[in-house]
Amino acid sequence: MTTVAPLLAARGVSKAFFGNPVLRGVSIALQPGRVHALLGENGAGKSTLINLLSGALRPDGGEIEVDGRAVPRMTPALARQAGIAVVQQELSLTASLSIAENVGLGAYPKRFGLIDYKELAARAKAACALVGLNEPLSTPVGHLALGRRQMVEIAKALYRKPRVLILDEPTSSLSSTETKILTDLLERLRGEGIAILYISHRLNEVMALCQHVTVLKDGTCTADRSLVGTDATGLVRLMVGRDPGDLFPKWQPFVSTTTAISVRKFSAGLMRDVDLDIRAGEVLGIGGLVGQGQEDLLLGLYGAIPGRTASAVVNGISGLPGGVPKANALGLAYVPADRKREGLHLIHPILTNMMLPAFARLPALKLRSRKTERETGKSLAAQLAIKGDLQRPAQALSGGNQQKVALAKWMPHDPLVLLLNDPTRGVDVETKREIYLMLRTFAAAGKAVVLLSSDTSELVHLCDRVAVVREGRITATLERAALSEEAIVSAAMGAEKQKVAA
Amino acid sequence: MTAWNDSAGGKRASAILKSRPFLTLAIVAAVWIVASFVSRGFGAYGHLRYLVELGAVIGLVAAGQTFVVIAGGIDLSVAAIVTVSAISLPLLSWQADPTGLVSILAVLVLTTIIGVINGLGVALLRVHPMIMTLAMATFLQGLLIIIAGGSAVTAENPLVHWLGNARPAGIPAGIILWIATSAVVLTVMHATPFGARIFAMGANPLAASLSGVPMTSTTLAVYGISGFTAGLAGVLVLGMNGQGYVGIGDPYLLASIAAVVLGGTSILGGLGTYAGTIPGAILLVTITALITVVNASPGWRSILFGSLILGLLLLSGREQARR
Repeated sequence: MTTVAPLLAARGVSKAFFGNPVLRGVSIALQPGRVHALLGENGAGKSTLINLLSGALRPDGGEIEVDGRAVPRMTPALARQAGIAVVQQELSLTASLSIAENVGLGAYPKRFGLIDYKELAARAKAACALVGLNEPLSTPVGHLALGRRQMVEIAKALYRKPRVLILDEPTSSLSSTETKILTDLLERLRGEGIAILYISHRLNEVMALCQHVTVLKDGTCTADRSLVGTDATGLVRLMVGRDPGDLFPKWQPFVSTTTAISVRKFSAGLMRDVDLDIRAGEVLGIGGLVGQGQEDLLLGLYGAIPGRTASAVVNGISGLPGGVPKANALGLAYVPADRKREGLHLIHPILTNMMLPAFARLPALKLRSRKTERETGKSLAAQLAIKGDLQRPAQALSGGNQQKVALAKWMPHDPLVLLLNDPTRGVDVETKREIYLMLRTFAAAGKAVVLLSSDTSELVHLCDRVAVVREGRITATLERAALSEEAIVSAAMGAEKQKVAA
Repeated sequence: MTAWNDSAGGKRASAILKSRPFLTLAIVAAVWIVASFVSRGFGAYGHLRYLVELGAVIGLVAAGQTFVVIAGGIDLSVAAIVTVSAISLPLLSWQADPTGLVSILAVLVLTTIIGVINGLGVALLRVHPMIMTLAMATFLQGLLIIIAGGSAVTAENPLVHWLGNARPAGIPAGIILWIATSAVVLTVMHATPFGARIFAMGANPLAASLSGVPMTSTTLAVYGISGFTAGLAGVLVLGMNGQGYVGIGDPYLLASIAAVVLGGTSILGGLGTYAGTIPGAILLVTITALITVVNASPGWRSILFGSLILGLLLLSGREQARR
């Protein structure tokens, strides 16, 4: 097998976004007739690597090779010509078009310059049959359930008769029957000599289906080996194994019996019947795979989405806040994950962004004091090491500094509970360190910090307790003594139960 | 130290020179100067004063419109509200109200309530502002036809008459009303937390709501203000005209939006100032006057008006793409 040139390969590719390296010298080779697993935690660089392989992004360094020949300027069009098809994690379907139209989109058969619907139907039908889609081909995709849409997405890739098939978490929304159809299909395609790159968080699937594995960790390749002779525990260790260094402040045990927030049978969004106590003075981590309902837990407590509960006590007041202004008045503050969309007003000056929670709470028609605002802004900037003119629009700042502004704006209010949604995503190491230090100082002052994070290592090294969320429920609450990346990842994946995929 | 002061002062001066309100003002001045050379009598003090007086009505309607547009919405019911105000005022007259102040206040309360209903539809029923205010306009027009029919109603209100005709110290009362309103509007917009909330809401409603901005009450207030200033404009236009009739407010819908945009306020919300809308309103009446001077047929007047507005917008810079 090693003598055959890989159908598609990356040789030492690097990529950085706004100065933050995401991939550093990563190599991967996709051989014909092999299912290649790509593993790594959230933010390890998997999606970026796929985007490089499919030409959606251009590498800063290194090369992309097709059939052993370097392609200096890979584009999505070139990738399609080379027979590379990608099934994206975020579905790229058009809801109002039919199944057939979506499957053939961009490659419609033509007759006399018009779309040949008869031919399209025949070819789409063949592709759909492969993935077990038996709905009428004229059904609008918007009418299908998420799992069926995922199958349409896969059919769309197969319609182009690919030589290289890249699947980014294809089974995350599939039922076990659909997963079985997919794994059988991939086995067959492998037999036909297609190279498959398979990304999944479900380790048992990977063990059953794949022959080779590449593990990414913080943008570097930590393993590139055959799957023979490894087990699930070994894979988890490969994904999370890293020296945390002195990134995290020294952990000190906290002594506090005061409860900041206590809810029983709390439901909001995806979360169902959660019992949770958040203590003053602790950093409570919220872990789990992306999209299990963690965000709804924070938003529900914050009153930004409607929630129900059997009983709730928030900072001594019973009942949920039920609205953001009310939550702020009760001493809650929320820092969103998507700082550009939810956290900041990018077109407004940094200073105005910092002052907004104050504007929201002050009497509406009280005259503003520009002098006090400038002074508050200056001291916040000094405290969080935000450099430069505060009259610049917030979009002029780097991602890390934007995150600091999103945090800083709550500081003048001295919140009792700080709800953070992935505050270090896409933030450079130095800023991470500053944010960690701030959170620990905050907790040491007797405040409660709830840290939702997709970065398992920060949950382990920063938190006093970690609640792991899976499918809308808290499935495990790990105390400091029991905290390890392996424990969190297994709880998040339900690995302890060894759920059978098929 | 002095050098630092100088550079800060210089920076501020250049920022003012480059700002949209100043640019719009410069265009107004340029048009006035050119027009006074071309057309005899255009540059006379009396004529320019008359232009500003006409601009006051647009300026008042556009005051509320500026609030709404900055907050990320649009109010298409302002013209109908102007008409409601101008027609209901003569109908709401009491013997026990010799100055006419009480009926003016009653009308302003009425138009503010209409605005708040717009706000309720936008904030609570989540109807798109365009649909909500357009439906409101259609509703009001129907109501006005039923109440007033085709006849004009004459105002017997002393205070309204004074507003439309008096000239204390040589300055028309309408202009004084506009100056006073402008002072309040600019203060609320740029010097209060309420004003800051409006900008935040328009720039990014999601981030504003997660920062604790009370979205519902702010939306109600913004559309209420628009109803109030449109009502005020209706009172002024009634005083200048002497009579109210169905359709008296019609010219002020497009004019108010055009004044806001010409003044540099972003139609996407979140950026802008009433300081730009003021010269924007004066620019609009100036263009109208110029076209009248040219003595073209009504069809050509409309075509000229539309083309000139488009040309001016291209001249003073289009909206920059947002990320």
